Amino acid sequence: MIVHLTVVLVESTYLIRAGIENLLSELPGMVLQSVFDGTEKNLSQKIIDCKPDLVIVNCSINQQILVSLVNSLNTENGVIQIGLTNENTPLNISSRFSHILNSNEGKFELLEALRKIIGKRGIKNETENDQKNLTARELTILKKVSLGLTNQQIADKLFLSIHTVMTHRKNITKKLGIKTVSGLIVYALMNKLVEMGEIERSRK
Amino acid sequence: MLIRKEMKLADVIHHDHMLVPVINRFGIHFGFGDRSIEEICTEKQVNIGFFITIINAFHDKQYFPKQHLQSFPASMLVDYLLKTHQYYIDDKIPEIEGLIQKMTTNAKSNEESYLLAQNFFTEYKNELITHTEREEKRIYPYAVALEEAIKTGLVSDVLLQQLNSYSIIEYEAEHENIEEKLFDLKNIIIKYLPAPSDDQLSFHILDELFMFEKDLNEHARIENLILIPKVEAMELELKKQGTIK
Repeated sequence: MIVHLTVVLVESTYLIRAGIENLLSELPGMVLQSVFDGTEKNLSQKIIDCKPDLVIVNCSINQQILVSLVNSLNTENGVIQIGLTNENTPLNISSRFSHILNSNEGKFELLEALRKIIGKRGIKNETENDQKNLTARELTILKKVSLGLTNQQIADKLFLSIHTVMTHRKNITKKLGIKTVSGLIVYALMNKLVEMGEIERSRK
Repeated sequence: MLIRKEMKLADVIHHDHMLVPVINRFGIHFGFGDRSIEEICTEKQVNIGFFITIINAFHDKQYFPKQHLQSFPASMLVDYLLKTHQYYIDDKIPEIEGLIQKMTTNAKSNEESYLLAQNFFTEYKNELITHTEREEKRIYPYAVALEEAIKTGLVSDVLLQQLNSYSIIEYEAEHENIEEKLFDLKNIIIKYLPAPSDDQLSFHILDELFMFEKDLNEHARIENLILIPKVEAMELELKKQGTIK
């Protein structure tokens, strides 16, 4: 399961915005909800209304606005605040943030830094749950699909609702990366889940 | 990069060599010299606007000027689509099939697994052929006939019969199935076939499949987003004209 993290960005330039979007797109589950340029009225409230998990603020926006923004975000529980800094960012500004992204870093370092900041909060390692082997039930269903049974027939045989069968089939497709019935048959045969003879018999 | 007619075709190919089969379909072949796209198109009597639009659409997914593409005559579109089919059926599919057969013949163990993959491809091939033949017999001539009828104001009995005889939904479902099978084939090779005796050959097959998939998707996009809406618009136009009721 991938946990979604809502991200809000305060950044006025197109180029940096595009760069941040590019970075976020490499981290599964990160959703960039809104982008502000820092001059909006009631900025703090607007951001809080997005219910963000993560707020990334370019430290070069107007100081007064930045300070009031950080102060109001501090009163919100669990919002991770990240300051986007460069070599000109004064220490009294960058120190207001619990986390820093240095915009002079390379892509790899920035991604690593972001991963560290998010920590365990997001991205429940997609290989952990999604990609594991088929369950016994899924194997049974896969076998029946290979033998040419329809969803309804499988449901009747296994005393399941057709919706349950369909959910299993979706999960099989997701785990194996195979979408068509003939593809599933190839998989089942290669892995000796069924024999060619069985398939031929079932077709008669 | 936006491709413009002033550019040298050779430079464009340096930038994106995947365009080679596409330009071949227009009857344009290597030996471009330093001539621009415009010069080559004029020489080969190819419609420049159409050529530019097609190669841009192929080169960059973001570029898909629906309005613009729909302004080209159906016969021109159909001619291009037909040539694409020809390229698939006469060149690409036999080539990939040959490679897959070679992989099966080379297999030193697990022969059955390779044979399964080969049969899967054969099944895919037959499905693709049936689909393209159906398009060539039904959809394409129908689109051209509609255009002709609008021009001349005459509707033949044959055309009347054809009207609404083919369901568009059915048509799109076929596209989807063909895409899915190709997706499966890639995963069979990447994830499930036992390690091959010839890595280069397997990579070659995979590379061909990825390129073929891109070409096919582009082709389906033109049909789904341009040809079909155009057919629907022409049907409506004929009804408006009062030629058919």
